Amino acid sequence: MFVYEKKLQYPIRIKNTNPKLASLIISQYGGPDGELGASLRYLSQRFSMPYAELKGLLTDIGTEELGHLEMIGTIVYQLTRNLTDEQIKTAGFDSYFVDHTTGIYPTSASGSPWNAAGIGVKGDVIADLTENLAAEQKARVTYDNILRLSDDPDVNDAIKFLREREIVHFQRFGEGLRLAKDKMNEKNVYFVNPSFD
Amino acid sequence: MNQKPNMNPQPTCSVMEGRLPGTCASMVFPYIPMQEYNSERYDSNEALKAGTLFPGLNLPFHAEMKSRFPSEPAALTELMALDFAIDELALYLDTHPNDEEALALFHSYIRLSQQGRSKFEALYGPLDKKYISEDGKYTWINNPWPWEVREVQEGHE
Repeated sequence: MFVYEKKLQYPIRIKNTNPKLASLIISQYGGPDGELGASLRYLSQRFSMPYAELKGLLTDIGTEELGHLEMIGTIVYQLTRNLTDEQIKTAGFDSYFVDHTTGIYPTSASGSPWNAAGIGVKGDVIADLTENLAAEQKARVTYDNILRLSDDPDVNDAIKFLREREIVHFQRFGEGLRLAKDKMNEKNVYFVNPSFD
Repeated sequence: MNQKPNMNPQPTCSVMEGRLPGTCASMVFPYIPMQEYNSERYDSNEALKAGTLFPGLNLPFHAEMKSRFPSEPAALTELMALDFAIDELALYLDTHPNDEEALALFHSYIRLSQQGRSKFEALYGPLDKKYISEDGKYTWINNPWPWEVREVQEGHE
């Protein structure tokens, strides 16, 4: 069961509309390394995790990612408020607008709708946690790229927070991998697959 | 005469018997050091600004961020800071369940957050659907929702 809390994880208050920037940041909503994929990846992987610490970690990080999805949606929403007729025609945003108006739709910045092919659930402790290490780094790079492209301080403030969370999650998944290793075969972690052998 | 290959010039342990990052550990496994117990911490307000409770994990992009919080109601950012510290400590405790000092801090933040929640809800309305307002009205749906910009009322706090 999930319970909604009527507040963001981190405050977002964007003063200036900027449809071009919104059309880039939408990638962290529904792009290949975005927050929707992150939450579904972790919340799905946890079912086959054999160890208590890992079930807890995937539940907690997966839940936090849902909060990040809400933050990205909020950024895109606030960047596209009260658009003028001219702003609607902004290059890069016009092609989003024709399909979704100013609704928040999970798509990558390059226009591919969200796709589960961008996430991995292998049902294996080492494979899944290693996937997550890479996923956190890919999301971190996407936030780096957004910071390279954006000069709006209100947006960058929230993006820097989200970027730092990727680094913390990377650390925790690495620790999760260490804890798992201590419980697996000492001489060869591939000797058994502890999720069902 | 065959020369014996140099497998381990000064063996102190057998190959595959040690733990990472030691030389005897088996390899082909990504290695991330465990965070030490009692590592340095920010207070919860600093933590929300940094995005982490732990300075050792604060690795910003290029130039250090200097920006301040947007002018949100203080009761909201205080609660966000406490709830963030709780979430951050929970992730730490997921991988360090026996760190008693961190657990005590976790509990103290939870108590403060419960107080902060009541304070916020009394001023601004429900955070949770199960909130019962003083006038008995259904206030869950009232604006603003979290994605909307909240107009800060001067002198409201």
